[in-house]
Amino acid sequence: MADLSPVASWTTDDVLHLGRRAGFGLSPAEAAALAAQPPAAAVAAWVDGTAASTAAFDAVWADRADPVWLPAVAASASVAGSVGVPAVNAPHRYAVDGADAWRNDLGRAQASWAFRMQYHPWAFGERLALLWHNLFATGGTKVGNAALMLGQIQTFRAAGLARFDDLLVAVSKDPAMAIWLDSVLNNARGANVPNENYAREVMELYSLGADNGYSQADITQLALALSGWGFVVDATQRVANPASPNQLTASAGTFRLQDGTALPDGTYLWNSLGTPATAARNMRVTGSRALITFLGRSFDVSTAPAGMVPGEDAVRSIVSSRAANCASFLASRLLRHFVTGGFTAGDVADLAARIEALGFDLRAVLKELLASAYFFDPAHRHALVEGPVSWAVRAARQLGMDLATADAQAPAKGFPAWALVATPTFEAAGQKLLDPAGPNGWREDRAWLNSNTVRFRTKLAAAVALGETFTQGGVAVPIFPSSVDLWFPAAPADPSAVFDGLAALLQPGPIPAAVRDGWLAALWPAGTFGWTAADRNKARELAFLVLCSPAGQLY
Amino acid sequence: MVTRRRFLQGVGAAGLALGLERCTARAGAVSAASGSGILVVVDLDGGNDWLNALPPLSGANRNAYDAARPGLGVPALSLVDLGGGVGLHPDFTGMADLWTAGRVAFIPGIGMDNPNLSHFVSADMWGQGAAVPDGSGWLGRFADRAFAPADVLRGISVTSDLPVMLRGRERSFVSISSASGFVYPASLRGNRLGAPWEPQLLEDGFAQAVSSRAVDVAALLGPDGQGGYDAGAAAGKLFLDAQNGFGTDGTLPARTPRVPYPGDAAYPVRRLDGGNLSGSLSAQLKLVARMLASGVVAQVYFTRIGGWDTHANQAVDHPNLLRTLGGTLGAFYQDLATIPATDGTMQDKVMVLAWSEFGRRVKENQGGTDHGTAGLSLCLGNAVHGGFAGFGYPDLGRLDGNGNMLHTTDFRSLYATLLERWLGLGPAETDAVLGRAYPRLGFL
Repeated sequence: MADLSPVASWTTDDVLHLGRRAGFGLSPAEAAALAAQPPAAAVAAWVDGTAASTAAFDAVWADRADPVWLPAVAASASVAGSVGVPAVNAPHRYAVDGADAWRNDLGRAQASWAFRMQYHPWAFGERLALLWHNLFATGGTKVGNAALMLGQIQTFRAAGLARFDDLLVAVSKDPAMAIWLDSVLNNARGANVPNENYAREVMELYSLGADNGYSQADITQLALALSGWGFVVDATQRVANPASPNQLTASAGTFRLQDGTALPDGTYLWNSLGTPATAARNMRVTGSRALITFLGRSFDVSTAPAGMVPGEDAVRSIVSSRAANCASFLASRLLRHFVTGGFTAGDVADLAARIEALGFDLRAVLKELLASAYFFDPAHRHALVEGPVSWAVRAARQLGMDLATADAQAPAKGFPAWALVATPTFEAAGQKLLDPAGPNGWREDRAWLNSNTVRFRTKLAAAVALGETFTQGGVAVPIFPSSVDLWFPAAPADPSAVFDGLAALLQPGPIPAAVRDGWLAALWPAGTFGWTAADRNKARELAFLVLCSPAGQLY
Repeated sequence: MVTRRRFLQGVGAAGLALGLERCTARAGAVSAASGSGILVVVDLDGGNDWLNALPPLSGANRNAYDAARPGLGVPALSLVDLGGGVGLHPDFTGMADLWTAGRVAFIPGIGMDNPNLSHFVSADMWGQGAAVPDGSGWLGRFADRAFAPADVLRGISVTSDLPVMLRGRERSFVSISSASGFVYPASLRGNRLGAPWEPQLLEDGFAQAVSSRAVDVAALLGPDGQGGYDAGAAAGKLFLDAQNGFGTDGTLPARTPRVPYPGDAAYPVRRLDGGNLSGSLSAQLKLVARMLASGVVAQVYFTRIGGWDTHANQAVDHPNLLRTLGGTLGAFYQDLATIPATDGTMQDKVMVLAWSEFGRRVKENQGGTDHGTAGLSLCLGNAVHGGFAGFGYPDLGRLDGNGNMLHTTDFRSLYATLLERWLGLGPAETDAVLGRAYPRLGFL
């Protein structure tokens, strides 16, 4: 049985657990401060993101978050009006969205999100986005547009605490999703056979689970209901590559039924950005086929209930018609992400009951779960294997510099060069951010670990802990700027104090005493400790070992 | 000798739907040496619309196909006649030659009872390959019986994940997605970090951490017994152990195939809509070839090519995939002939198995096909008795209630055949791995 009643009091260790699972880690000092507040109110503020100002983050984000220089782009010799784009040899914003969408750089987009995870004051918002990114797993390679992928992540931040049916509708209207699972190509006009891709996965993967309350006939009926769902691009969302202006990219899209009706002037079809369109192609179901029976209820999807678009009420009905199935499905996902992989059917039933009772209000559900005795049960501490992106971000957050300190560094800002490590290592470590291989996402927990992914975690750990550098403009810059003196504001007295300090920062699972003693004996043969520069380097090595050890994969 | 054509003629007008399978014995064929065969698995991830790869060429099935595929159907005139009323898609590069040479066996209509049309459930069932699935994979259970637990390099996935197919009950294969840097950790041994870091110290420390069993895991992790520490330790241990025997200092010797692969400068493969095809499968099979040439001891390799979930844009995407698949398998097969092995070349030692979790709906949607049931597997190698294997091409006039094909061959029959006649398990052991005695197929 999962005791979902709120805890009346908590300890610093409890708060550290919350920080790891519902954010990307807290320092011992941050945790101690939070532990002085009543748990329920503190968790609510944590979920809402009301506790911290974002002004400093926003200022950095606006123009200097990415320390890796951007190369020049030469103007096309054959395209009239093209203009070369100069190199950016200084810290700058992540140039992947908005007016920079033409760069369409998935690696930079991955880096930008990792940076937000590391530094955004509302850590829970980024954790939430990561949760929903895994549930509504959308692959950037097929979508082919980094800006649309980031737009979907923004949808998760904005709607990720809404009612689940609202979130489901928002995702169903999302441009990246519409490309990913072919909604934009679902044409049921006349006698056409609809494309079932999204209709199947929205139930199997996103709301109910395989074989959990729906039939193949329901899939076909929902596919009819959602026929013609797509998006258009207006003039302000259409971005040209200045160096080759006939290369056009959508920086965003606006949901639109593809129903043959007239479009506003200056509107472009999602797959034809060269010339404005006067009307959306007609792909909607009509006539008797628009009278669908879905999950035991009848809908006329040729017309829309007030405030909706045709078919939207069918999507919403997944949650209402199959409330128990949906609540169980959602409960399993939340437990596996936030609490433990070892939950029982009874635990799922308990949380599912609360989800139903709370009307699928995700904000209320998450506040209750994250303040519950079940969440804080000591048995659940370090009982999950952490995903590689979260693991790397948390290490960088604990060993890197805080935002203000990093921003004051010169010549480059002291921000991690996520752009250098995200593309080669996230995928090989088993989590290609913004580009999962399939709509089923990643399996989490122990599935994160195999010989290959461990190998690439060691590479990430080397970059974070050991101060690896890269060179640009003749200057060697750390990939993850850090200072051992910031890890240890007061000099540790002996090797054990170094270990304790690192364990407090990195918060691994329990490390066997024999392993710890072996490390310390190898690093510091008796009598050699003096907190010299060499000892500081050894502290980096020890941090590396903690990060790479089996206990270092748990959180 | 029963030739393929004679067999196909013997099956009669109903095509293979009614026929028991039989394959061609062929001069020069390599017999499956017991226990020595190497298996290279190619996962066609997403559900291959094999009905367009091997479409009906004539007869009632052709009529049904034409009716169901007015937009996507492959014209009969463009097909290569394989006999028996079945054709070969012209973009399935190289397969016609391999067929003529008797090196490839197609198993159409392969599948399972009660398919639910889910990629993930179906792929999981294919991976587990058991009468009663228990979470382990059929090749992992083969490894449980065939290899010592510490013999970690006997099976390698060149993908970054470890597919369920390779997970045993008692041991696990490893994942190695590149040919270099499989040491701890590569950056520390290279030039990116110099003094003062001490690679050996770090390596020893890591080894100590992941090898430690001096802990009570249950006590550490609470009553739910979720062995996260053990999972981390096991993965790290595999990573360390895999270094031993994997090239020199964790790097395989360089190798440039003498045979061009799709995506190479000498073998540009264009998409139907312009641009170049993905070279992902080429890269994976080149890595497998490099491992084979380096003397890595693996008996099982796993590769994957995605993109087969052609709900839309199939007229372009599917032929492109067939070009990639056919061209890459053909290149790999030729490349194997350049790798020496005991008593010949690797071409005699290696069998390729390509499979997909299901076939697709017979009736097309607007531009694509949705999830279906019965699929296609193929086996390629010198030991193969080329031809159609299994228990017949599905009858397109007799579909299930959702408009999907009824499978004719249980996928575990394919596994039983490979386990017993290629990987070297005894008949009783083969049945034990699969949990039941499945009929063997005649292509081996």
